[in-house]
Amino acid sequence: MNERKTVRQATGPPRESTHPPCGRRFAEELLSGYLDDALTQGDEQRVRLHLEDCAECRARVEEMTQLREVIMTTRFQTPADDQWDETPRGAASRLARSAGWLLVAVWLVSVTGFVLWGVATGPQGWFEKSLVFGGLSGLALLFVSVLLDRLRVMPGDRYRGVEK
Amino acid sequence: MTIESSLPPPTAAAVAADLSALGDGELVERTRRGDAAAADLLARRCRQPAYLLALQLLRDPDDALDVAQDALLRLFTHLDRLQRGRPVRPWLYAIVRNRARDLMRHRGRRPRAALAADDPEGGVVLVDDSPGPEDAARRHELQVRVWHALGELSETQREILVLRDYQDLSYEEIAGVLRVPLGTVMSRLHRARRALRERLENAAGGPFHE
Repeated sequence: MNERKTVRQATGPPRESTHPPCGRRFAEELLSGYLDDALTQGDEQRVRLHLEDCAECRARVEEMTQLREVIMTTRFQTPADDQWDETPRGAASRLARSAGWLLVAVWLVSVTGFVLWGVATGPQGWFEKSLVFGGLSGLALLFVSVLLDRLRVMPGDRYRGVEK
Repeated sequence: MTIESSLPPPTAAAVAADLSALGDGELVERTRRGDAAAADLLARRCRQPAYLLALQLLRDPDDALDVAQDALLRLFTHLDRLQRGRPVRPWLYAIVRNRARDLMRHRGRRPRAALAADDPEGGVVLVDDSPGPEDAARRHELQVRVWHALGELSETQREILVLRDYQDLSYEEIAGVLRVPLGTVMSRLHRARRALRERLENAAGGPFHE
């Protein structure tokens, strides 16, 4: 593929001014590109010819190759199947859940309004009314606090614009 | 009676086997159309890669599992945003990487450089295909040394090494995940490799040689 070609197009002048340990005048990062087979044809040939004559750079590339091989063969313990949550829901399920939450919210607001109206116009004394209004006000403040936190996070949600 | 109607209905195992032959792209399409079996298989395929990337970036199994599950949820929630024909893995990796960075920044910490006492090797386990026990032990020791040294690198250096050398992504895929120009990948990767080599040389055990 044309990782080679794409790298050639996108690389432009080397971004790093360091050179191989032998002092050869090409960017040291080309040794990494050589290791990953990601150089342009010209750069690859330049590095290959240099390596034929330079034991120091050959050793460097050999060392990087060994390091990469050690890393690539590293295996990690992974969680068992039962540690994972169920498969994320599909669009229909998400829609149903959203609609459910909306209905619950509407129901909650209606019931709260009904209770408040009943208490406000009812025969209860100031103490009972204070208890009801105070409790509901506390809950409302907690809700507003959570809502504000969510709204504050939303503009910074990096996943909304994640690469498609 | 047609030939089709005379055939018995496919079993669940046959359906699963049929799906398992499909590529990720086809599974994505079927998931979008509401195929629960395809969604389940896609989730199973994406789980371990997401977890491993998160583990390699965060170096904490619990955090890695949380991030991987969150990333999968986000992937399925926004699956309709994935352009047709685009591979799903780089997209998943981008989500995992962003989520891992957010978590680290939220906690204001680097990943665990010192590993827990009850897990001194940080979840690194021996490979099974080593030629002999001595070679296996030696290889394992090197892997653990590299794993420790990796934890001492900067976030930027660590993530590019993880994507290239642990995850074996191409330069083009890395550029997509990190959202950097392709030319930046090689220079950044080389700096990271050099930093890793210096850490290994300075660490106990001396220079890296297999």
